[in-house]
Amino acid sequence: MMLEHILVLSAYLFSISIYGLITSRNMVRALMCLELILNAVNINFVTFSDFFDSRQLKGNIFSIFVIAIAAAEAAIGSAIVSSIYRNRKSTRINQSTLLNK
Amino acid sequence: MKSISIYLSLILHRMDLPGPIHDFLLVFLGSGLILGGLGVVLLTNPIYSAFSLGLVLVCISLFYILSNSHFVAAAQLLIYVGAINVLILFAVMFINGSEYYKDFNLWTIGNGLTSLVCTSILVSLITTILDTSWYGIIWTTRSNQIIEQDLISNSQQIGIHLATDFFLPFEFISIILLVALIGAIAVARQ
Repeated sequence: MMLEHILVLSAYLFSISIYGLITSRNMVRALMCLELILNAVNINFVTFSDFFDSRQLKGNIFSIFVIAIAAAEAAIGSAIVSSIYRNRKSTRINQSTLLNK
Repeated sequence: MKSISIYLSLILHRMDLPGPIHDFLLVFLGSGLILGGLGVVLLTNPIYSAFSLGLVLVCISLFYILSNSHFVAAAQLLIYVGAINVLILFAVMFINGSEYYKDFNLWTIGNGLTSLVCTSILVSLITTILDTSWYGIIWTTRSNQIIEQDLISNSQQIGIHLATDFFLPFEFISIILLVALIGAIAVARQ
């Protein structure tokens, strides 16, 4: 019963952050929703490793790698967002339809 | 009879807190998670949504403590709340200087279609979760594990596995982090 409750919570977090990622007009909000997606996946990994794999903890170790990759991606994403802002003076996602200017 | 007693001892050994406190903490953290997730997506001020992202990350870290994964909880608190959330707050405050209330979250057709798709994803995931018989899997995996005392803590076990079985991914991820941070600094510099 507890396993199912935690899995339902992580499924809710995943689906609402997919909604936020697709419908956000602000680039930084899209970055935030991407971090939420990775966190929902991490909750799943840690819960399964706690319930099924108390000897080898493979889910725990994979979630550590996911945290490290999310840190690298947040750094690169915010660098890209800041350079786009420096060039275009706005961070709306739907203004990037022109390849020049 | 012996297998039932072994099963019960494994279940009771894994949960450290008594039942009602465990359930109350789960409900509390779950409600914090639900409200924080709604706050990240639906609040118009981006600084408010960055702070509610911090709330969600702290709630997830307390979830990990309830799940006996103390190392991942500490790593989540240090890296996600301490570094990634601060980086996102820097990006929000540096970039959204003058356009605070310009996006009024108008409800377009794309928003409606996306909410339909996301609701269908959520409903299909929930039906899959509730239809799977988890206790059959718990029974088969618990009977294969050796029953011994908890001599090695969770963090020590993770350290042992990272140093022996998962040594190559560990080195690769350090190289990935180095290259990613050098690239991010090179992009954001000029």
